[in-house]
Amino acid sequence: MSISVRDALLTFKTPALIGLVGVTGFIAGYLIDMTIFTDTAPKQPIDFSHRIHVSDNGIPCLHCHNYADTTPAAGVPSVSKCMGCHKTIATDRPEVMKLAGYWENQEPIPWIKVHDVPDFVYFTHKRHVLAGLECQVCHGPVETMDRIARVSTLKMPWCVECHTERKVEHGRDCWTCHK
Amino acid sequence: MEKINRRDFLKFIGAGGIGAGAGLLYGESTRKTVELLIPQVVTPEDYSPGIATWYNTVCRLCSAGCGISVRTREGRAKKIEGNPNHPVNQGRLCALGQAGLNALYNPDRIRTPLRRTGDRGNFAPIDWDEALTLLGRRLGNLKIKKQGSSVYLLAGGLRGHIDTLFYTFMQALGSDHYLHYEFTHPAALYAANRMIFNQDILPYYDISNASYVLSFGADYLGTWLSPVHYSQAYGHLRQGRTDQRGKCVQIEPRMSLTGASADEWIACRPGSEGLLAMAMVHVIVNDGLYRGPDRNAWLEATGPYTPEAVAAQADVAADVITRLAHEFIRNQPGLAIGGGSAASHTNAAASLAAINVLNYLAGNLNTPGGVIFNPDPVSPASPVARQASYARLQEWIEAMAGGGVDVLITHAVNPVFTLPPAAGFTEALAKVPMVVSLSSFMDETTALADLVLPAHTYLEAWGDDMPEPGVGFPVATLSQPVVKPLYDTRDAGDIILSLAHQIGGELPVVLPWTRIEDYLKDSWKHIYGQRRITADSGGNFDEFWNAALAAGVWGENITREPLRFDGVAEDRIRALQVPPPAFAGEEKDHPFVLLPYLTQAFHDGRGANLPWLQELPDPLTSIVYGAWVEINPATAKRFGIREGDIVEVQTPSGSLRAPAFLYPAIRPDVIAMPIGQGHSQYGRYARGRGANPLEILSPLVDEASGALAWSATRAGIRKTGERAPLIKTDGVTRTLGRQILDDKPAHT
Repeated sequence: MSISVRDALLTFKTPALIGLVGVTGFIAGYLIDMTIFTDTAPKQPIDFSHRIHVSDNGIPCLHCHNYADTTPAAGVPSVSKCMGCHKTIATDRPEVMKLAGYWENQEPIPWIKVHDVPDFVYFTHKRHVLAGLECQVCHGPVETMDRIARVSTLKMPWCVECHTERKVEHGRDCWTCHK
Repeated sequence: MEKINRRDFLKFIGAGGIGAGAGLLYGESTRKTVELLIPQVVTPEDYSPGIATWYNTVCRLCSAGCGISVRTREGRAKKIEGNPNHPVNQGRLCALGQAGLNALYNPDRIRTPLRRTGDRGNFAPIDWDEALTLLGRRLGNLKIKKQGSSVYLLAGGLRGHIDTLFYTFMQALGSDHYLHYEFTHPAALYAANRMIFNQDILPYYDISNASYVLSFGADYLGTWLSPVHYSQAYGHLRQGRTDQRGKCVQIEPRMSLTGASADEWIACRPGSEGLLAMAMVHVIVNDGLYRGPDRNAWLEATGPYTPEAVAAQADVAADVITRLAHEFIRNQPGLAIGGGSAASHTNAAASLAAINVLNYLAGNLNTPGGVIFNPDPVSPASPVARQASYARLQEWIEAMAGGGVDVLITHAVNPVFTLPPAAGFTEALAKVPMVVSLSSFMDETTALADLVLPAHTYLEAWGDDMPEPGVGFPVATLSQPVVKPLYDTRDAGDIILSLAHQIGGELPVVLPWTRIEDYLKDSWKHIYGQRRITADSGGNFDEFWNAALAAGVWGENITREPLRFDGVAEDRIRALQVPPPAFAGEEKDHPFVLLPYLTQAFHDGRGANLPWLQELPDPLTSIVYGAWVEINPATAKRFGIREGDIVEVQTPSGSLRAPAFLYPAIRPDVIAMPIGQGHSQYGRYARGRGANPLEILSPLVDEASGALAWSATRAGIRKTGERAPLIKTDGVTRTLGRQILDDKPAHT
């Protein structure tokens, strides 16, 4: 007895559909993990609040992140810079006491990096700051944040969109960022 | 669409659920680990993240003294390049110099002072105060008891004002026993230059402008004296002039790296190089190619050295000798130089003297393209005053063995590795009650120390250097730290200054400085005072110092009167003779001559703990991570030896085992081994790798210079039956009929 190819294949219709649902579920699960289960605002070793320092006390960004306009890395303030004020200011607050602990042990504070691009990307703060971009354009309303959060995806389409809009010279050239 | 039954529906839900779960877990497991942003604890000065700062300093990995520029970022040294301002290397650098980063960041660095506990070889950490007090008290007591002369200080080739500091310290202690010992110190060349040219320091060999380089074994592109400078000069010789590309002839028993670049390579018998030079002198004077007033004296002196007589001894045809002599004289300016095998036999000084005579006869002294005598260096200390030949060191070994040495301090030297055991250094060391090492690494000598006071590596240290050989005009290079010290080590200069203050008495009076940087700065005031004042050299001392630091080097390339040379004294001419070489061992039992040779990567063994150099393929054999014995293929065939067969090399002083490599460009009666591997200490990259040919050398000496005749040991080889494949980047070393090369024999 012979049977057509189509009919032979159709016997596997249900298992194939189950497989397809499974694969689709896998992809969906992965994407959900990447978006909903990713921490854009991780808990830091010290609950440093940008709102208190920037909005309430008027400290400009470049006072602490002082390399932003001169080097590719914006820099994060040294423990001694924090202690410059906090040797005397707000020394009774528990978070400031944590800071004092690090200073006493001469240990750096292990901040969790919130804004990061992969190693194959060359990003330079200096160029962006000197182009007149306000920090908030990429980093969001940092002055309102009690805990720093990543508000932009920092992925390539997002970078390219801005480079296109502002007509950056050589901004869409691969070698500019992928040296 | 048909209706889905309940079972299938549940299967779909299940598959979807499990799939989603798997996807989620996959996402979690492949998530990039959290990156930390680590700030500084204290804001450093001179700090710009992401922006490199370059510091100029001097390389100390060999005695050439090249200037280097080190690129640092965030306080870490990232890359070493040659300093373009420096006249010795002019922006270039050799492999050993590049690997300096491996020395600075080596995981096996000694990080704190150590004190011996129990038997020699066992250490426990102590702090600096304790260590300096221990040593300071002992030295102080010796000084008070007027026994300061039982303190001996052995350094590697140290130059500049740090050398002066060491010397002043030892003198104030009451000790004359301060010497430098380097395996590569060309004692025979210094003796030959004194004999013929009356010069105490090395001349400048102007290869750059020469038309003919007649090299008797001098590996000037690889390891001879100042190879980075000569390599550049060689480039100019070949391609810097439109009307000629010069001729380079290399005469040696085993083809060196330089030999591979020569136009003509001649395989002479080991130790016959001086005889060949004398024969050439004979030809030049006899054939009327030299017409100076002293030609009769030269004729007499070289009477017995006819080309025919020497041809038999050297195994080089008489007509080749005659031809080369004629070519050399007719293609001036030219250079006759000697090194390698020619400088390491029992007739070394005499051989190199004969080679010097060739330059004299050619009239190329103090002319471009020839041998240009160097002016005195700017430092008050002569670079050679304290250089010890092997014979001189023998006196020290006797003193040590006889109990006459109470404290031996070593700095940047590893005699337990570089001296043949037959010299007896290790046994004599056991008789010294206190051995102190200032080494950064646990090398063979440091492992036998009682006290280790680890000095900074050269990239963390202050100092200066006046290159030897000089470049024809006064040059002084500054060495400054390029990074903060990584570990609890100290600058060698600071160690000496601290000891001086510990010991007290007149020592802190003659050495009042507390910091090496201040001592160095004060020492440079006299260089500042000596310099020629020209229109644009104004400025006070601080400006001068800062400019020198920024440039990394100071020099004065001003036209001056060439140093006079009044000819060779007649008694010296008549006394000139080159005896045939003597060997240890009889030809019957030891049919081969063992030729150890220096490689640019390992030098005298110091480079073996630098992993980049272990993985650097040897330029001629392409072998990495090991040592080997080079055997002529015809010889190997006779013995039935294949590449990779482990052979035992036996000399009258010992034996070693190493894999064989079939090397076509070596005499069939010579075997050769690279120097540098075979460490028993010295860290994870060097230890237990390969074999050290220096270990089986017989301690023959060139009487005229006191130099160790390290090519004068005869050897026998024996198959062991074992094999170890050689790790190399080359494939097959035979052409296999592919007509890649013209397979003619090297010489007729």
